[in-house]
Amino acid sequence: MAKVLMKGNEAIAEAAVRAGCRFFAGYPITPQNEIPEYLSWRLPEVGGVFVQGESEVASVNMVYGAAASGCRAMTSSSGPGISLKAEGISYLAGTQLPAVICNISRGGPGLGSIQPAQQDYLQATKALGHGGFKVMVFAPASLQEAVDVTYKAWDYAERDRNPVMILMDGCLGSIMEQVELPEMKEPDRTPTDKWSLNRPETSKRGDRVLTPYFPEALLELQNSSRAKMYQRWAKNDVQVEEFMLDDAEFVVVAYGIASRSAKEAIINLRKEGYKLGMIRPITVNPFPKESFDKLNYDTVKGFIDIELAIPAQMHDDIELQVKGRAPIYEYCRSGGVLFDDDGIYAAVKKICDGGAK
Amino acid sequence: MKRTLVISGSGGQGVMSAGVMIAQTAVDAGNCATYLPEYGPEQRGGSAKCTVVVDEDEIISPLASKCDTLIVMNEQAYEKFAKTLRAGGILVVNTSRIDSEIKKDSFTVVEVPADDLAVELGNIKCANIILIGALVGSEAGIISEEAILKSLDKKFASKKKEVLELNHKALQKGIEYGKKAISK
Amino acid sequence: MAVYKRPDTLKKTPSGFCPGCMHSLATKLIAEVVEEMGQHKNCVHIVPVGCSTLNLVYWNGDVLGAAHGRAPAVATGFKRSNPDRLVFAYQGDGDCAAIGLAEIMNAANRGENFTVIFFNNQTYGMTGGQMAPTTLIGQKTTTTRYGRDPETTGYPLKMCELLATLEAPAFIARYALNTPKGCREAKKAIRKGFDIQMAGKGFSFIELLGNCPTNWGLTPLQTLDYMESNTIPYFVPGVYKDKFKDGVK
Repeated sequence: MAKVLMKGNEAIAEAAVRAGCRFFAGYPITPQNEIPEYLSWRLPEVGGVFVQGESEVASVNMVYGAAASGCRAMTSSSGPGISLKAEGISYLAGTQLPAVICNISRGGPGLGSIQPAQQDYLQATKALGHGGFKVMVFAPASLQEAVDVTYKAWDYAERDRNPVMILMDGCLGSIMEQVELPEMKEPDRTPTDKWSLNRPETSKRGDRVLTPYFPEALLELQNSSRAKMYQRWAKNDVQVEEFMLDDAEFVVVAYGIASRSAKEAIINLRKEGYKLGMIRPITVNPFPKESFDKLNYDTVKGFIDIELAIPAQMHDDIELQVKGRAPIYEYCRSGGVLFDDDGIYAAVKKICDGGAK
Repeated sequence: MKRTLVISGSGGQGVMSAGVMIAQTAVDAGNCATYLPEYGPEQRGGSAKCTVVVDEDEIISPLASKCDTLIVMNEQAYEKFAKTLRAGGILVVNTSRIDSEIKKDSFTVVEVPADDLAVELGNIKCANIILIGALVGSEAGIISEEAILKSLDKKFASKKKEVLELNHKALQKGIEYGKKAISK
Repeated sequence: MAVYKRPDTLKKTPSGFCPGCMHSLATKLIAEVVEEMGQHKNCVHIVPVGCSTLNLVYWNGDVLGAAHGRAPAVATGFKRSNPDRLVFAYQGDGDCAAIGLAEIMNAANRGENFTVIFFNNQTYGMTGGQMAPTTLIGQKTTTTRYGRDPETTGYPLKMCELLATLEAPAFIARYALNTPKGCREAKKAIRKGFDIQMAGKGFSFIELLGNCPTNWGLTPLQTLDYMESNTIPYFVPGVYKDKFKDGVK
C-alpha cells in the first residue's frame, strides 16, 4: 500500500478506525484536537459513534460504557485532561474492560503550556489513577510506529482486559510524515466473552460488570492476578529499539520525539569517533530491563537520559536497571521548550568529553 | 541529501498551508518529508512557523536547528529566524511586510513584494503561493517546478477554474522573481 | 393466577436497604415495569454510587456499575453502541444533582435515548446523612447540624424544573412515593419513559421523592407525614415536560 503524508493525530485516528474502533468520546484540548475532529466525521462513515463529551470525565466514562458493550472504544486528551480521566481509567482497570487512551502530552504541571513535552511519564507508567493498577504504555517515536501500535492496541487491551495507553508528545501529534496504513479490520461485535454485556439474545442474562462492590477477598484475588499480569508483560511484551549498542561507551536512553533528535546526534557523533548507542523504549511500561543487563559494563562509561521533562522522569527506571554500574547523565528540556538537533548534539558531546557533572 | 526549509510569518498568512503543500509535493515526487508546525495559542495574528525537512532517505530527526532555505513573511519572522539560516542558504523575503534592511552578504536573497503582487493579481491570499514560486525559481532543490504545478492542480481541483488560474499566475510570478534573483 | 408477586427481575434475596426506606419501593416499581414490558433480558441497569449501588445485589439482570455521578455518561456510551437495549440509570441526590450535574444536564441536552430515574431523598444516605443539593431549608444533616442555611449553602436544587428548560428531553416527571396514589403515578411515569426509549424517541427523566428514615431520624411512618408537609410542597409532583401527551408511537 502506498505511503501517505499524514498528521500524527490524524494518523492515530485513522489507525484506530482500521483497528476496529467504533466508539470515541473526547473533549477539546490542544495539542490533540485533530483526533476528535477527524473521528467526528470518520467514525460515522464506518457505522461508528463519535460523541463530544461535556468533559474529559464524562468522555472516559462514555468509553467505559461503550467498552462494557464489547465495542472497541477510545478516548484521547492531553496532560490536564488525562488527570481528569484518571477516575474513568481506574474504573476501566477495576472492571477489567479493554479500551485505548491516548495522551498527546504537553507542558505541565497545571494548565502548563500547549507546546510539546514528555512530562506525563510518571503518571502514565506508575499511577494513571487511584488504586495501584498499571497499564501497558506505548511511546512511539515516528508516525509509522504510532500507526502500528494503535492498530494493535486493542489486541493487547482485549487480551488483558485492561486499558492501554498511547503516550505521545504534542510534537508527534502535530507533525506530518509518511505512513503506510494497515488494512481495515471489521470489528467483531458478537463476543462470547463473559466480560461483555453484548451477548446474543438467547444467552442467559444476569451477568454483570461491576467496579465498586467486590467482596474484599475477591478484590484481593483480582489484584493478585493483575500483579501476575504485570509480570507477564515484563517477560513477554517489552518492545525496544537497541541502536548501535555493541561497542557503545555512552548509552543514550530516550523515547518518543526525544529519541529522534538523539539518534541524529549519535549518528553524527559516531562520524567523529564517539562510541555512542541508544536504548529506546517503545513500551515505557513494561520498561526494557533486559536491554540494560545485556550491556558490557566494562566498556559502558555512562548513560545519558534525554527527555522533554525536568526533572527527568525516566531517570528512576534507568537507575533501577543500571544498579550503580555506571553514572547516569541527563539532558532535558521542559515546559514546552523543544529540543533541537544542535542542542542535543552539543549536550551529548559535552557529556562524552567529560564536561558534564 | 537532507534539506531543511523554515517558513515563518503571522497566523493567517498561509504559513502552515504553504508548508504542508511543499511537504506534500516533495512526497508526491518520491521523497521523504516531515512537516512540523509551531504556533502560539492565538487562532489569528500570533506568530506562525513551520519546518519542512525533505530527504531522499528516511528522515531521522524533524527537529532541525538550522535551515538551508528560509521564507519570511513579516518583520518579526525575519528578525527571529534569519540567524538560523545556514551560510550560503536561500532567503525568500516578503518585502511587502518587511522594512528592515536585508543582510545579503552570506545568503542568496530573493526579494518579493508578495502581498502587493497578490493584491494586484486579485487576492491577497495567494501571497504564500507567490513565495513558494520564488522558492522554486531560486532552485533551492527542495521541490521542482513540475512537481509543484502538479500539486497545485491537485490542491485546487475541486475549486472554481478562476481560483486555479489565479494560483497558477501567482506561482509563475514567484518563479520569475526566484529566477531573477539567482541570475544576478 | 397470582395477583401480586415478586418480579423475576429482582433476585430472591432480602433487601439490604434500611427498614422503611423507599429505595426498595422504587426498585420494585422499576422491576415490575421491566417485567411487564417483557424487557427482562434486554434491560441494562446502570448502577451509580450511593445507597442506590445496593441495587446491583438485588437486580436480576445485566448491571453496569458507574463511577459517582457518571451514570448518564456511561449510559451514553453503552446505549450509543447498543441502541436496541433498554438502558436506565438509577441515581441518587448527590450522584445526579451534585457531582454528576454536568453529566445529567448534557446527556439530557443531547436527548440521549435512555431513561434516568432520580431518587430524591434529600440526603447522602450511604455516607451517613450529609447535606445533599436537595436538602430542604432548615433540614438537619451531619454537615448542617443547625439546619440547612441558604446564606451559606444555597437552596434545594429542583432537577425536574432545571431539566425542563432544555429543548431535547422527551419526558420529565416527578412523583412522591409516600402514598399508594403517588406510587401508581410513579410507575406509570416509569413505563412512559421506557416506552419512549424503546420507540427511540429520546431522553426521559423520572424523579421519585423518597425518604431516609435512618438519617432523617424519623420512623418510617413519620417520614410519610414529613414528606407530605415538607418535601412535596417544595418539590411539587407532576409532569414537567411531555412531548408525547397523546401516547408514544
